Amino acid sequence: MYEDLADFSVKQLEKLGVSYAEARLEEIKGSGYILKNGNVDISGFDKSAGLGVRFIANGTMGFFSINDLKKDKISSLIKRSFNLTKNASRIGDKVKFSEEKSVNAKYEIKQKIKVENLNPDEKIKFLLEIDKEINKKYFRYFALHDDITKTYYINNEGSKINSTIPRVSFYYFLTVLMNNKSMQRYLPYGNTGGWEVVKKWNLKDNFLSEIKALENIIKNGVKPPKGKIDVVIGPEVTGIATHESVGHPYEADRILGREAAQAGESFVNLKMIGDKIGSEIVNLVDDPVLEGSNGFYLYDDEGVKARRKILIKNGKINEFLHNRETAAELNVKSNAASRASDYNKEPLIRMSNTFVLPGDYKDEELFKDIKLGVYIKNFMEWNIDDKRFQQKYTGAEAYLIENGNVTKPVINPVLEITTPALWSSVDAIGKKIEFSAGSCGKGEPMQGIPVWFGGPHMRLRNIIMK
Amino acid sequence: MELAYYILKELKKKGADDIIIAVNKSEGSQVKFSDNKVVKTGSEILVNLEIFMAKDKKVVVTSLKDFNKGEERALIPTNLDKKNADDAIKNLIRFANNVNPNKDYNGIAEGPFRYKEIKDSYDKKIIDLNEVDLMEKGINAALENSNRTNGIIEKWFNEHLLITSNNIEAEDKSTGLYFSIRAFKDKEASGHMNSCSRVLSKFEVESSGRKAGEIAKMAIKPEEGKSGKYDVIFSHMPMAALLNNIMDAASIFEVEAGLSFFADKLNKKLGNFTLIDDGSLENGFNSSKFDDEGVPAQRNIVVNNGILKTYLHNTSTAKKYRTKTTANAGLVAPNPTNIILEGKKGDVFDIKKGLYITNVWYTRYQNHLTGDFSTIPRDGIFLIENGEITKSLKNIRVSDNFLNLMKNISLVGKENKHLKSWEAEIPVVTPEVLIKNVNISKPKL
Repeated sequence: MYEDLADFSVKQLEKLGVSYAEARLEEIKGSGYILKNGNVDISGFDKSAGLGVRFIANGTMGFFSINDLKKDKISSLIKRSFNLTKNASRIGDKVKFSEEKSVNAKYEIKQKIKVENLNPDEKIKFLLEIDKEINKKYFRYFALHDDITKTYYINNEGSKINSTIPRVSFYYFLTVLMNNKSMQRYLPYGNTGGWEVVKKWNLKDNFLSEIKALENIIKNGVKPPKGKIDVVIGPEVTGIATHESVGHPYEADRILGREAAQAGESFVNLKMIGDKIGSEIVNLVDDPVLEGSNGFYLYDDEGVKARRKILIKNGKINEFLHNRETAAELNVKSNAASRASDYNKEPLIRMSNTFVLPGDYKDEELFKDIKLGVYIKNFMEWNIDDKRFQQKYTGAEAYLIENGNVTKPVINPVLEITTPALWSSVDAIGKKIEFSAGSCGKGEPMQGIPVWFGGPHMRLRNIIMK
Repeated sequence: MELAYYILKELKKKGADDIIIAVNKSEGSQVKFSDNKVVKTGSEILVNLEIFMAKDKKVVVTSLKDFNKGEERALIPTNLDKKNADDAIKNLIRFANNVNPNKDYNGIAEGPFRYKEIKDSYDKKIIDLNEVDLMEKGINAALENSNRTNGIIEKWFNEHLLITSNNIEAEDKSTGLYFSIRAFKDKEASGHMNSCSRVLSKFEVESSGRKAGEIAKMAIKPEEGKSGKYDVIFSHMPMAALLNNIMDAASIFEVEAGLSFFADKLNKKLGNFTLIDDGSLENGFNSSKFDDEGVPAQRNIVVNNGILKTYLHNTSTAKKYRTKTTANAGLVAPNPTNIILEGKKGDVFDIKKGLYITNVWYTRYQNHLTGDFSTIPRDGIFLIENGEITKSLKNIRVSDNFLNLMKNISLVGKENKHLKSWEAEIPVVTPEVLIKNVNISKPKL
């Protein structure tokens, strides 16, 4: 690590008279493997290090990044970036940060089985083992990745934080082909931790049961019933709805319009804190301190201590996601939602692990009193508008519910609904939580950041099914 | 330069069959604005050395971005020293010895080649350009018809060196400019327009700003849209996003992975349009003298008068399918370069009833193989009656199929735009396009 260069950057900027400066130094080592239709397409490894520095000059935010880590190069980039920012400040926004405690901390996620100690062939063998039992007529695409990120953060208010975070991820894309028909599924897995986590994913069994389910839909699937029915959604669907229609619109930088050009704005406004947005049983949080989670961190990229944020409490909007800039604007404290995907990206307000808190129902109880309905276990196609008001989730594995029982498979049921209608229709929530991994995109240049989203099964009443 | 050759020589000595070494050095800056004010500036220096190696059909890539110590050099990563290079070589060989062979791997291109200069791909005026002043002109043009604007202006320059074990040595340098502006008349009325160019003289900042403002003004007081089948005029921005999905599906990698609706469609009629991938396009934002294995850039007619003529290939995939490379390496996967759409020209607004969609986002598939997808119109959405805009609309979704869309391309407009966007990472040259009989859905309200 080149900590001295981060310290140097902050000191140089202070000499130039900036009101705020912070530096993030990152070192990443990783490896990746792609298996396509049982063939090892390509493998690789990567090592990178870089420095990202943010500062406020004349009230305007400046940022620069460099991986050519030498003092003279950094010095000249500081000058260039400072001059650009000063020049831009004539039409610049006047940025203020909320006051936060300075922090000195060091933390590391330990790996039980270190990914760097495994030979590439062991990882490939692992992928080939999964592939072995799948019908070779089906398209299969697997991608496995692991990395370790070491970060050193410093700001001119006295914060200094070191972290080491190992991460493993797996992604599959599967096409089942039968009777001239096809069905597809993809699913990402992601955790912080070592190879021990990959073993726990139980990929082979999950994969085989997924294939069976898709084959069953192609062979026996029926069209979804039309009109108003009850719907039970599985944790994957609860999770995506949580992320898209609650997490995103509660990001304060969207609400305030900073990200309007690309990521969009929000149907939620600042006055809506305390407004009813869903049924009373809905409680929904964003929690970065979940051990082993994909969105794990203890301090955000502005050096603020992470905590659980309660976004919806008893069906009412409770709290937004903040960084120091939006917190200052609304006269509150930051709740540590500021993250950057890499050293060369500015930190933005991001979700971490966003999920619905468990309810009182056993999963089987959710189906009991439904005469006719649809169980959408998971999904393929989804999207939501840029204010996060109207969304579509199309079921992948889905079933009819008839007289309280899950019966025939259903082909592509569509839940196309507004956010208030979705969350108001929830009348029962399961006890058991599951998470899905994802990479959440925001900002320009685009940043994909690791997150989890999830929750329990939920029952939705009186949904218009398409 | 010496160091790249050193790595090449050492890897050869250690038994590598095919080697490609690519060195990139780029510098750039960005200015991001919100509510007409600068909210962030960004400046970047990135140096990168990538190595591709095949040994006994074992295919390995690595990228070195950790450069420590060493001498100043002009093009090569400034401080990658010999010790780091030796470590990289040792690791690469060890890694290759521990992976399985790729049965489908068939080698890289055999040089040498002659490379043509690409017109309007480098403009030194960009390096010292005052991007803040230029951005302000775009904002002011948008504010003629709107109240607030958000977006970004970017500039960059890049030097690129590529050497391979198969007699290829190639160099290129490039510059680029990108502007994206979204204008708001009120909370529900917005318009978006982008521009990209490799030279300053073709960079359309003011006209993009003005267009975004005009769309925003027309979009005020939107009414709920209705579901059904419509003839839809897709403006330049949504066409860029849709064409990205279409050309991505033309890569043989996507076809093999089950991710393409072009599977089994070679030499079949898909509609009435022509789709071109052109890595040598004048002022093309992604144009380069050569692809990632050093093959000279070329123009490929992927769909000719509606007939799918080729997938996008590199040398290895082309050999597998007994065809020629299309100069689209990508060594992991063949990639599109610059996308061009052509079709029957006419007045796209000459329809009785339909929709005019000026932007889309969030294009997602239910099934890549069949092409079933949906995407969400954003910014101005308009009802067209008897060739005129009569209403501003909101809350609709295009829920259709890519093969249907292509089949139903009817007419294209006269004016082409050169665009890239958040939703269209591959640059596109496209007119506005009239597509008949498009399925529109909407949510339960």
